[in-house]
Amino acid sequence: MKRRFFKSTEFYVGLVLALLCIAIQLKSGQFFSGNNLVDLVRAFSIPAMFCIGEMFVIITKGVDVSFPAIASMAMFIVCSKMEALTSNPLLFFLAAMLIGLVVGLVNGYIIARFKFPALIVTLGTSSICFGIMQGVFKSREYPLCAPLYELGQTKLFSVTNPVSGLTSDMPVGIILMLLLIFVGWFILNKTMLGRGIYAIGGDEKAAQRAGFHVFRTLMFIYAFSGCMAGLIGVLRSTMLLAVHPNNLMGMEMTVIAACVLGGVRMEGGKGSVLGALLGMALLTVVDNSLILLEINTTWQKVFVGAIIIIGTAVSAIQSKRDAQKLTVQVDEGRS
Amino acid sequence: MKLKNKLVTAVLGALLCVTVAGCGGGGEQAASNDSAEHVVETTDVATQGAKKDWKIAVVVKDSSNGWFARMEQGVKQYAADTGINAYQKGPVSTDAAQQVQVIQDVINQDINALCVVPVDPAAVDPVLQEARNKGIVVITHEGSTCKNSDYDLEAFNNAGYGAFIMDKLQESMGGQGTYTTMVAHLTNASQNEWANGAVAEQEAKYPGLHLLDNPKRVESENNSEKAYQVAKEVLKSHPEVTGFVGTSSMDTPGIARAINELGLKGKVFVVGTGMPNECRSLIQDGSLSYITLWDPAEAGYAMCVMARMILEGKTIENGTNLGLKSYENLVVSKDNPHLFMGAGWIAINKDNVDKYNF
Repeated sequence: MKRRFFKSTEFYVGLVLALLCIAIQLKSGQFFSGNNLVDLVRAFSIPAMFCIGEMFVIITKGVDVSFPAIASMAMFIVCSKMEALTSNPLLFFLAAMLIGLVVGLVNGYIIARFKFPALIVTLGTSSICFGIMQGVFKSREYPLCAPLYELGQTKLFSVTNPVSGLTSDMPVGIILMLLLIFVGWFILNKTMLGRGIYAIGGDEKAAQRAGFHVFRTLMFIYAFSGCMAGLIGVLRSTMLLAVHPNNLMGMEMTVIAACVLGGVRMEGGKGSVLGALLGMALLTVVDNSLILLEINTTWQKVFVGAIIIIGTAVSAIQSKRDAQKLTVQVDEGRS
Repeated sequence: MKLKNKLVTAVLGALLCVTVAGCGGGGEQAASNDSAEHVVETTDVATQGAKKDWKIAVVVKDSSNGWFARMEQGVKQYAADTGINAYQKGPVSTDAAQQVQVIQDVINQDINALCVVPVDPAAVDPVLQEARNKGIVVITHEGSTCKNSDYDLEAFNNAGYGAFIMDKLQESMGGQGTYTTMVAHLTNASQNEWANGAVAEQEAKYPGLHLLDNPKRVESENNSEKAYQVAKEVLKSHPEVTGFVGTSSMDTPGIARAINELGLKGKVFVVGTGMPNECRSLIQDGSLSYITLWDPAEAGYAMCVMARMILEGKTIENGTNLGLKSYENLVVSKDNPHLFMGAGWIAINKDNVDKYNF
């Protein structure tokens, strides 16, 4: 068990992450300060939550690019239309989750029933969602309504740096992130549904013969991804203290990159919550430490790209080595 | 054919009803519905003229948008100030095809001048040609690439706007300290011209301020969360920074949130482009010193003044005074003799933020 851990992708991504953190600390002396860590967790929270839904999809050999659009649409509809109806923040979240759930079910039905490529289907729903938001609901930047504004200003705790006097607040939304991570981990590791997700990703026909309900499982993961996207959309607006309809655009690439970086295989059947989160943590740390590292703005994108490739290469080389070792081990076993 | 025209009129009529209903029920402050509210400061020049029976139509991008509701207040004030029949129309959503229909509709209403804020300059060009063939004077705003307009009026030139942001920032910073600049993307032309204008103004006028050495310019990717994160990082690694120039309307509130949370209110200042409704609470709590923008009401009024001048045979040239504070000394563009720019920037702080509802 121990040996397996040291060979896993998670270990190598974690190693790259740890080295990077130490390098930033040595360069700036600020990395391990309390306020910096709070800032990083905050920046990590939203994409990390998206990672959970996305990794479910990738494990079943699919890919979902519609979640930023679902999140944005649900957020805008709820925040612009429900102001007059209620002042209970919980209802805003529930309504957004419901909208997300509907779009997710559409995704799931088309993909599971007709076996269309997930990328194309979700690309389509993504475009439709942005279209509905812009055309039907006339999206624009919109002030956040009072109940959500209040929620956004509520903090779990604050950390003040004793040297610089700078304070950072931990938003209450972090609780939702922890909850979602736990739910994701629980489903994948402790339920038959989770076994089914891995089995379908490994070999769909075999999974079906083994008694897993492929259609229902696929419906579940897309519905789950959509439903969570709705929740995350509203959460994001509470963190921004404003409704920005185009704010999440483009995040799908970061989230997919983080999953793959963390060892979730695009070929399906493999991946862990820990890996995906480590991948996201690596990307968040890189993205939020470029100024601490004094990297010129012009070169930042080059640096981020290089870290992604290095991170992937380290684990890819390792798994290739493992594959070679495997055959050797089998031979040894026979002799 | 006739039937089709009737249909179009009916549809447009229905759309306008929806628009009016939409504006009324938008939950906006009641004060803004007063038809001849005094929103723009003018001099006699703006209201003078020989004739009063001109008819001027202003067609905007989107009649449901707060920005253009504010512009309409300017147009209504012009009508009230001069007795000229000036009015504003626009499609219910920002849609180039619908806007063309609205323009077609108004040029059949015996207007003398047409002022347009085009959704897509290329898409409206043919219908503007039609208007000019009928002898209608055509003025565009934010449409310098339109070929078929008599003049294009812009609120300001880019370097001048940047300099204005810097003037306000140095005032907030008390004339000394280190600052840096933020743009959405390093590749964005106008925002970088604003930032360059700000830096040039500081170098020329304010020796007490210094531009941070590295990074001189940071990117927000037009995302206020990114702006917030980047501002925090700059303040962590460069505690000497006490000022930010924000250019995109996402930069300014993002930086202000960072200042507020870090506990640096009153020590670090940000000035930049922003929308009053979105930034109101940040301005009121002191995290955001000034937001800068141009006033759409003034731009609407100025277009009408310009239209009347042309109708009365006056020529628009370098230095022309439209009788509004921001447009009393028009500057002609070096590249385009039909493009005139005002100095139409305004700064909004605690004291006047409640005057603006968009």
